[in-house]
Amino acid sequence: MDEPNTDVIQGTLDMLILKTLSLEPMHGFGITRRIEQISRGVFKVNPGSLLTAFQRLERAGWLDSEWRQTDNSRRAKYYSLTRAGRKQLELETADWNRRASAVARLLKVEG
Amino acid sequence: MLGNRRAADQEIADEVSHYMEESESALIAKGLSPEEARRAARLELGSATAIREQVRSYGWENTMGGILADLKFALRTLRRSPLFTLIAVLSLALGIGANTAIFSLMDQLLLRLLPVKDPDSLVMLYQRGTNMGGNDGERANSYPIYQDYQQRADAFSDVFCQKMSERVALTLDGQTELVSAEMVSGNYFSALGVKPAIGRVFNSAEDDQVYKGHPVVTLSYDYWMTRFAGDQSVIGKKVLVNNYPMTIVGVSAAGFSGVDPARSPKIRVPIQMLPMVNPGWDATIGFRRLQWVRVFARLKPGYTVQSAQASLQVLFTQIRHYEATLPEAKGWSAKSRAGFLRATVVVEKAATGYSQLRNSFSKALVVLMWMVGLVLLIACANVASLLIARAVARQKEIAVRLSVGASQSQLVRQLLVESLVLAAAAGTLGILLAVWITKGLLSLLPTGNAVLTLSANPNGRIMLFSIGLSLLTGLIFGLAPAVRSIRLDLWSTLKDAVGSVAGTGGAVRVRKVLVTAQVALSFLLLFGAGLFVQSLQNLRGTKSGFESMEHLLSFQLNPSLNGYTLERAKRFYQETLENIRALPGVQSAGYARAAVLAGAAWGDGMLVEGHVAKEGENTHAMVNFVSPGYFRTMGVPLLEGRDFDARDVSGASAVCIVNRTFAEHYFPGRSAVGRRVGSTILRNGKLDVEIVGVAENALFNGPREGSRRQVFFAEPQERYLAGETFYVRTNQDSKQMFGAINNAVRRLDPQMAASEMRTVESQLDQVLLIERLIAMLSACFGALATLLASIGLYGVMAFVVARRTKEIGVRLALGAMRGSVVWLVMREVLLLLGLGLAVGIPAALALGRFISAQLYGVKENDPWVAGIAVILLSLIAAMAGLVPARRASRIDPLHALRYE
Repeated sequence: MDEPNTDVIQGTLDMLILKTLSLEPMHGFGITRRIEQISRGVFKVNPGSLLTAFQRLERAGWLDSEWRQTDNSRRAKYYSLTRAGRKQLELETADWNRRASAVARLLKVEG
Repeated sequence: MLGNRRAADQEIADEVSHYMEESESALIAKGLSPEEARRAARLELGSATAIREQVRSYGWENTMGGILADLKFALRTLRRSPLFTLIAVLSLALGIGANTAIFSLMDQLLLRLLPVKDPDSLVMLYQRGTNMGGNDGERANSYPIYQDYQQRADAFSDVFCQKMSERVALTLDGQTELVSAEMVSGNYFSALGVKPAIGRVFNSAEDDQVYKGHPVVTLSYDYWMTRFAGDQSVIGKKVLVNNYPMTIVGVSAAGFSGVDPARSPKIRVPIQMLPMVNPGWDATIGFRRLQWVRVFARLKPGYTVQSAQASLQVLFTQIRHYEATLPEAKGWSAKSRAGFLRATVVVEKAATGYSQLRNSFSKALVVLMWMVGLVLLIACANVASLLIARAVARQKEIAVRLSVGASQSQLVRQLLVESLVLAAAAGTLGILLAVWITKGLLSLLPTGNAVLTLSANPNGRIMLFSIGLSLLTGLIFGLAPAVRSIRLDLWSTLKDAVGSVAGTGGAVRVRKVLVTAQVALSFLLLFGAGLFVQSLQNLRGTKSGFESMEHLLSFQLNPSLNGYTLERAKRFYQETLENIRALPGVQSAGYARAAVLAGAAWGDGMLVEGHVAKEGENTHAMVNFVSPGYFRTMGVPLLEGRDFDARDVSGASAVCIVNRTFAEHYFPGRSAVGRRVGSTILRNGKLDVEIVGVAENALFNGPREGSRRQVFFAEPQERYLAGETFYVRTNQDSKQMFGAINNAVRRLDPQMAASEMRTVESQLDQVLLIERLIAMLSACFGALATLLASIGLYGVMAFVVARRTKEIGVRLALGAMRGSVVWLVMREVLLLLGLGLAVGIPAALALGRFISAQLYGVKENDPWVAGIAVILLSLIAAMAGLVPARRASRIDPLHALRYE
């Protein structure tokens, strides 16, 4: 049997990052771990996509970043959500819900 | 900037390595050994450098606002459909190139202001109505009336005049060359506000006081640079102008070429030196009945062109009344006198100067501008049609991308970038084409001896015009389909993907309208081209009166430039004729003062023994001086009397030969031989020339002149030295004769050069230059338009057939004949063609009157030409339609039903 697909659904990575950061500022690997934990291993984040997404989101003004000491006293780049980022998260969440429920309805009808 | 980039790179590297460390320690916490953990983390992350690259390149592209990505994407998409790209770019490039070329010439000839002080207040003065005398050039005035204006006209602050002389022999340090000279009034430079570059320019006090008393020369800046390499020591140098000693006093300012935007002279000489520059014009300067100077003036503040004209008209009428009391006016009939007094003066804006070249070409340029404009429209229609077809074909792709989250603005931007790339490519290619086309056009123009100041380089303004044109095209036809495809309902498009034609009906309709317009416009161009080509054929086919012109050679000799005296020159001409007649292959030779078919009129009012001028009678006849043997060489038969011979060459008695029209006008039913005639200017009004022969009619100026009265004087009656045009009839290849003739001339005088050597046939082509230019270009444009329109037609029909594959398959499966399927498609082709013609034909008839002035011997609504245009267009359109029609008929029903 094939390995189950653990790719993050296309177009949703930004939303997942924003959602994760809405709880507390985190560094890159922290976000990866958090998404894997909460999705119970359904989604695994590709590090390349993640770091690229940081660049994109930061440039869009949705994230702030600063270098800080981690708990195990390493230096890491911590990301936090900006006010614009919070708004964007709301928008994307609403949009996702709308679309997901549409897909769900469709599947129900077809099924 | 660079340091910044490096810092950012370092930051990305740090972040990546931190991520790896965290990942490793997490794996170790799960129980892996440190080595295994490191390998696993690496594996998961991929190469650290690759990640850094990815992140960095993302950041960089993002900074550029994604435009570069769009650009790359656009180039990739365009490369994927090379045929589309090729047709679109070529269509636009040809349209833009032709437009830019024609516009380049128009700009230089018609629009550019003179580079002088306050060009807007410059006006040109000339008159309309009979002058009862001679004219040398268009819009000319007599010198005395120029002086009257200068002293008495209230409306102008400066009145100045000039006269171009195309060939002047300038001798410097023993070397002679032919240059173009401009004779100018003393106030010419000050009125135009032109300063000297070195030395001085002319002024009224020093250079306009004494007739023949100002032997001074100024050089144009360009001539100074090219001939003298900007050498300051030319000032004060002695030169010979037509063998008359003069002194160079200065060089005019850089950038100033003169009042003619097309031609600039190399030297300028005070107009008081007229007989030195134009030998034989000794009595001209005070003569009121010969118009030869161009008069310009500057409006005084407060005067408009209209008020200045009204004010000048009063003065002009006074002058005319005075002139009518002078002795020259004695013989005038009451009617011509009244007409003379009714003449009007014209004041016209001259901010762009005055150019005879412009006058003759501007109509042609405007017609051509319209034609290329139409070609561009057709090209745009093609590109629009292609873009629409593409947009329809890409609806699915766009819908998919929209549904996976691409933003609408992103898609519009990207489609826009794609059309801009197309337009930019077409614009670049178009400018290159334009330079090439303009060069070609300029090489066809007669250069004479003056420097042609028109250049083939498109200037900034034309670049803008051209780039604007291409961008506009790209925007209109790129954006419209882009917006269309994005507005589409996503879901319906996705569902539509399987075999439905819904949602494309509109696009096909738009494309059909475009094709109809293309057919209509092509008809306009083809019909116009047909009319111009027919006109040219009519003009070329006009009976010239000369026998087989391809075997008639002509060339010019001007020994006055080599310092010959009149006597020596006459001997030289005689010896040249003898040498040439002795050449093998030469049947006869002769020469004439004025070249025929050269577009230069030379005429005079004629007096005829026993003839009393009737009311309002035109006594003007064309005049030439010819040698014995001239008529035989030209192949013009003598109807009566004899040719000139040795008696006439000795100059014992004054004789002339007249043409048939002259003889029939003055001596209907009687013999003209033995009668006496005289002419107003050349013979000072004395009736002392005996007619010794009557020649058959032949052209003088060019094919449009009709049959005019002509008088040929025997050559030795001339009193001054000027060049002669030699004619040689040969039965050999003309190319070979050119060399032999040159050698024959050089044997007599190695310094002498025969110029303008050509056959009379090619001389006729030269005279018909404008007509040839219009006919050739309009034929090219017509062909181009038809080609573009058939590509458009083919594109639409191919699209329609592709869309209807399934339907046609069903028809065939149900037993439709292949022929009926061809007809099914062709019916639509013919319908489009018919609609296009239904629009095009009435439009052509309505527009015809705008070109009627350019036509000769063919009406602007000529049914034959229209018929040929219709047939040509229909044939080509049918061929373009037949390809997809046959493809439709070969559709395999089984295959078609499974299609898509």
